[in-house]
Amino acid sequence: MVLSSSFTPRNFREQSEKASHDARLRAVLDHATRYFMAKRGAALDAFADCEVHFARARSARLTALSRLPELLEQLEQSATRAGTQVHWATDAAQAREIITGIAQGCGAQVVVKGKSMITEEIALNPALQANGTEVWETDLGEFIVQLAGEPPSHIIAPAIHKSRADVAALFREKLGLADLDDGASIPELTLLARQALREKFLAADLGVTGVNIAVAETGSVILVENEGNIRMSTTCPPVHVAVMSLEKVAASLEDAADILRVLPRSATGQKMSSYVSVLTGPRRVGEADGARESHLVILDNGRSAVLADPLLREALLCFRCGACLNSCPVYQTIGGHAYGSVYSGPIGALLSSLLLPPEDTRDLPFGCTLCGACKRTCPLGIDHPKLLLRLRERGLESGRADSPGFASAAHTFLSLHPLAYRLAVGAARAVDPNLDLLPRLPGLPSGLANFADTRQLPELKRPFSAQLRDNRKKQGRKKQGGA
Amino acid sequence: MRIKLMIPCLVEDCLPEIGLAVVSVLERLGVGVDHPQGQTCCGQMAFKTGDAAGARAQALRSLDLFAGTDPVVCPSGSCTKMLRTYPELFPPGTPDHARALNLAGRVFEFCAFVLALPGAPDFGAQLNARAALHRSCQLDGSEAPQKLLSAVRGLTLLEPERPERCCGFGGLFSLQFPAVSESLLEDKAHELLALDPDILVSAEPSCLMNIGGYLARLGRAGRPVRALHAAQLLDLALKGALTGGASWS
Repeated sequence: MVLSSSFTPRNFREQSEKASHDARLRAVLDHATRYFMAKRGAALDAFADCEVHFARARSARLTALSRLPELLEQLEQSATRAGTQVHWATDAAQAREIITGIAQGCGAQVVVKGKSMITEEIALNPALQANGTEVWETDLGEFIVQLAGEPPSHIIAPAIHKSRADVAALFREKLGLADLDDGASIPELTLLARQALREKFLAADLGVTGVNIAVAETGSVILVENEGNIRMSTTCPPVHVAVMSLEKVAASLEDAADILRVLPRSATGQKMSSYVSVLTGPRRVGEADGARESHLVILDNGRSAVLADPLLREALLCFRCGACLNSCPVYQTIGGHAYGSVYSGPIGALLSSLLLPPEDTRDLPFGCTLCGACKRTCPLGIDHPKLLLRLRERGLESGRADSPGFASAAHTFLSLHPLAYRLAVGAARAVDPNLDLLPRLPGLPSGLANFADTRQLPELKRPFSAQLRDNRKKQGRKKQGGA
Repeated sequence: MRIKLMIPCLVEDCLPEIGLAVVSVLERLGVGVDHPQGQTCCGQMAFKTGDAAGARAQALRSLDLFAGTDPVVCPSGSCTKMLRTYPELFPPGTPDHARALNLAGRVFEFCAFVLALPGAPDFGAQLNARAALHRSCQLDGSEAPQKLLSAVRGLTLLEPERPERCCGFGGLFSLQFPAVSESLLEDKAHELLALDPDILVSAEPSCLMNIGGYLARLGRAGRPVRALHAAQLLDLALKGALTGGASWS
């Protein structure tokens, strides 16, 4: 799940600091996240009883989590009845093995993929390519980042960090289009990608997609998209593999409808995405299209352990609308790559901390100002800041996180001993009233020097309590004098 | 009516003028103010760094300091929120949990408290100035500062393009991620200065220190922006009302 590129969650702090200095990246992100937020805002303004629908979607997701084992068994039975072959994968390696096995079994030379975060999580493409299979991402944004050799940087907009001119330059180089101008319009660029991909769809032996919702009642897999590439990936090739993380189940089609009423509105500000595919088993006798063989891979990869934690399991409610990323001031500033793992932004910091080895993710819960924009935006009511605080606590308990350092520990100690506290602040005020020395004290985070460079630090003044006491004495004397 | 005043550590030692303004406003509006001695920190710093044990020990001190039935008033959204978080630190059913619930139910952010006083929101305060309001994400979407300050006569209350956006402080965050923090602050300062204000006003002392400190460093030719807590602004405006309206120059 760690990206194959040079970004890693271990270097989250350094990567974010660096990204925030990239003015071009910040401008692109600012434009894109504002665009998404404005579209979403308009869609929700026009959505009568918005909160009621949010609550219904949350309820559908809570039902899924509270009945997960039972619903997954039901899903397996219904899907099998519909003719889908169901596979269980404990971890990423097992999922890769299952899918490369299916590819080899059908002699796949060319694989087309619909956009999915889960296949990024299990690093499927390199595994397929290692067996000599050609793999093509068919979502426009994914196609762009694949050509660029980069990981996606947003859950629903993988190439959000690229400007139109970046894409034109990339297509010029990678698609051999020497005449392509930097000023090419988005429809022109889209048409070029479409021409390149059309051949791949027709040649593909296998289509691989993720899953937005799997319906336990019917064994159906539901996929939402806007470009039609998922529809093509699931119907053109003779074999289709859908990969889901186990929490993506819904009890019934009704629950799925409750989710579908909210997901596109929150993600892209659409009432409904341009395509919604409901796939129940392979092509049946007499049907004109559809895969002849369909597979469903159900992946755990650490999630059942998260489900067992009564507080943190809330993170599994997420249906990946990506709205928390767009609303997060930190994401808006550093983008997705800085997080160093597949999932970025507030939900990414949570999921990566929960699913990756703890020693790789100790900084992730701290890259947050706790402003709560994500929580206010999340249609499912996930309280990201609260969960991140819990992760900070857990990191500290296991000695993983940076200890809060001398400064914080000293502050806590002193605040429990009011007399010592007053003496310490009094001494500091006598020695360094303007806090000039403070940034250079040993044991304090190095960031304090930077903080002091850009902001005027406050000075230590005569304490409020002493001033209040003086004022009240004066008032008392006045009253006595006047009486 | 009497209240107990909860003073954030930042206000006690660095921004005491905020505390004095709070007392002045409350007393002028007929509220008796007790300031329990021995206050240090509400435990927010420990809590936000993941040190639940430290936060719990500090919470116990606060539970003793603010025991009783009087309302507790605090001129900080984030400290108010911390006091309201105390019940999470103790197991339900224990006496400390009950005390924490009791306290959480009677702690008020300064603006919200004043807004609930008889005669609110128009206390006849007057101040002729342009004030840019930073709502502060720490107030959890409370509209009390806007409502309270909108009623000040002569005051043009302005809000930046993205009023709820974080100023980038985040306590420890500003030390661990200084460049990201500064980028956010830069955005915030830019949006606030675009309003051409005389005053930056907020109900959150930490944001005020962060943004005010940056604006001071940045400087603005000829006309510095003065950073004021809502209580300080209201105090000036209430005093101004006596002289027919203080003017900003």
